Amino acid sequence: MLENVLLGIQSGLGLGNLAALAFGAFVGIVVGIVPGIGPMVGMVVLLPFTFVLTPEKALSLLLGIFCGGYYGGAIPAVLMRTPGVPSSLITSFDGFPLTQKGEAQRGLSAALMGSFAGGMISVFILIFLAPLLAHVAASFGPPEYFSAALFGVVLVVMAYRERLSQGLLLLGLGLWFSTVGIDGPTLCPRFCFGIWSLQNGLHIVPVCLGLFGIGQTLILVEKQILQSETMSLTRRTLDFTKLVETFRYWKTMIKSGVIGTFVGLLPGTGSILASFMSYEAAKRTSKHPEEFGKGTPEGCLASEGGNNAVPAGAMIPLLTLGIPGDALSAVLLGVFTINGIYPGPLLLLKEPVLINTLYFSMLLINIAAFLMLAFWLRPFAMIVRVNSSILAIVIMVISVVGIYAVNTRIFDAVVAVVMGVLGYILLRLKWPIVNLVMGVILGEILEQRLRESLSLGDGSPIIFVTRPISVGLLMAAALIIIIPLLMDRRRRNRSA
Amino acid sequence: MAGQSEPDSRLHDLFGAFLGALAAGILISTPWQVDTTGPDPFYKGPLIYPLLVLSLMVLASLPSAWRLARPPEGAMWQLDGGGFPLKPSVVFIALIGFLFGLVIMGLSASSLLFMAGSLYYLGHRRLSVLVLVPIIVTGLVFMVFKFFLDVYFPTPFVVEWLGG
Repeated sequence: MLENVLLGIQSGLGLGNLAALAFGAFVGIVVGIVPGIGPMVGMVVLLPFTFVLTPEKALSLLLGIFCGGYYGGAIPAVLMRTPGVPSSLITSFDGFPLTQKGEAQRGLSAALMGSFAGGMISVFILIFLAPLLAHVAASFGPPEYFSAALFGVVLVVMAYRERLSQGLLLLGLGLWFSTVGIDGPTLCPRFCFGIWSLQNGLHIVPVCLGLFGIGQTLILVEKQILQSETMSLTRRTLDFTKLVETFRYWKTMIKSGVIGTFVGLLPGTGSILASFMSYEAAKRTSKHPEEFGKGTPEGCLASEGGNNAVPAGAMIPLLTLGIPGDALSAVLLGVFTINGIYPGPLLLLKEPVLINTLYFSMLLINIAAFLMLAFWLRPFAMIVRVNSSILAIVIMVISVVGIYAVNTRIFDAVVAVVMGVLGYILLRLKWPIVNLVMGVILGEILEQRLRESLSLGDGSPIIFVTRPISVGLLMAAALIIIIPLLMDRRRRNRSA
Repeated sequence: MAGQSEPDSRLHDLFGAFLGALAAGILISTPWQVDTTGPDPFYKGPLIYPLLVLSLMVLASLPSAWRLARPPEGAMWQLDGGGFPLKPSVVFIALIGFLFGLVIMGLSASSLLFMAGSLYYLGHRRLSVLVLVPIIVTGLVFMVFKFFLDVYFPTPFVVEWLGG
């Protein structure tokens, strides 16, 4: 046990791993600062580069972008009331009023400290909770895995229940995409439509890169999202005296970190909810709740603590069950499987060094992102001045060349471009694109487990309701569907 | 997030119905698109899951198809007031050109042309943007992919043609 931890630390401190996580955190901060891009675009654009890296370095790089994106998102939220990532919107409630009062440094210090505390606390919860969950999941068979994956899918669909039919359509489309190509168990070609290249299937990398990378940049071409004229920052670095002041909110730091981790753990809930719940919890228990919304550092700290705890929280179901909680962790699942590593309860036993490296890397990523922003605050903040259309064109070139480079196949680039159009349409319609990605990622798992379960039950679906854990998960999924629908109905009746 | 009413624009219903029709078409043609000659029983075979998934899509598209056929009062085609996406369409066509260009002209020429052309179309007129950005990005992409990652790029048709 201790040997594995030490080996993990040794691997985490390796020069290559440190470079990967630092570069990832840097890219994450940059894409987080620029509104309209976000960590997902950063991750999918760099995804093709991870193929030449070892799994540890690839994961450190992408986790760096994942976590760094949330750090960066707070900067424009505080300085310009323009959230870099959606969840930083809550940070702007108090951050921008502080900037208007000439106290931008107080807002930024609180946001950065909140991000750091949330990130670190959530990693410690991950380290503690993952083995416990893995222990429970070790008794899972195909029916339990299928039910768990279905539970995750239901959570994601119901998270966007105001677009229920569209969400289900996209989920179905994603699940269907996962069936294209040669069927693994029977080696039968499916839905190839006579196109030879489709026999390899629709790979997750071009699909994600197209949907998020190209789709989002087509939106950027259309809309000038940034308004950098209002941005002001006098110091090059963070004011460290203001940073020390934030320690008086230590209880809020811990609370936000814990809330954010548990929200991140639930598939489909997302970082906005984590931010909002942490903010509300801090407001309820604050000595000065009346200051919330008018410019209190505690509000910035709570909101950022909540959203920065989400990445580590989302890693818990991913590592223990192999079920990604959101699109960002779905991309990480792609990296695992591409490298022949299948997350699940046995992963913690089979790959203890990789897991410990991952834990340690996540701690280091938080330190790296914090230090980068603390010392290069103004240079980073200046990134918002770069014209978004220039960024969009540059990202398109890197995306298309990167996707070609993965398998040196033009066909993959064509898939990415087609997915880019679909991504643009879905983003413009504001349909829950995350359902499509979850469908593509979870499709293979669901199909494999369904067929294995039916084989165990000699073709009878009764097997799903004869095993206690499976029944529990299916009942929980049913409740997640029924309760919100009943609540919505009651709300509508009341308002009528 | 929850509890909001369905979006009003009929484009949502049109796109939903389109996806549903597509799924229905594929569902009908599934027996011809999936090879089921193997020895496995139906529940172990490659057909069961696509049938379930495509049926889910068809069912999920029914509300959209219904609203498309019988639009609710006040429903309109306007989406968000953004108008026709001319800029993204032109850039997208240029992106397809960039893909063809990769094969015909090679990486450097194609990315230089795509970036300079797109930036010009998007309203950039400063020489530093129109010339320097494409050169720097193309140089970096070339260095990273060809030298650092050692990615093979096919010999452009133009070079093959000129070289005989």
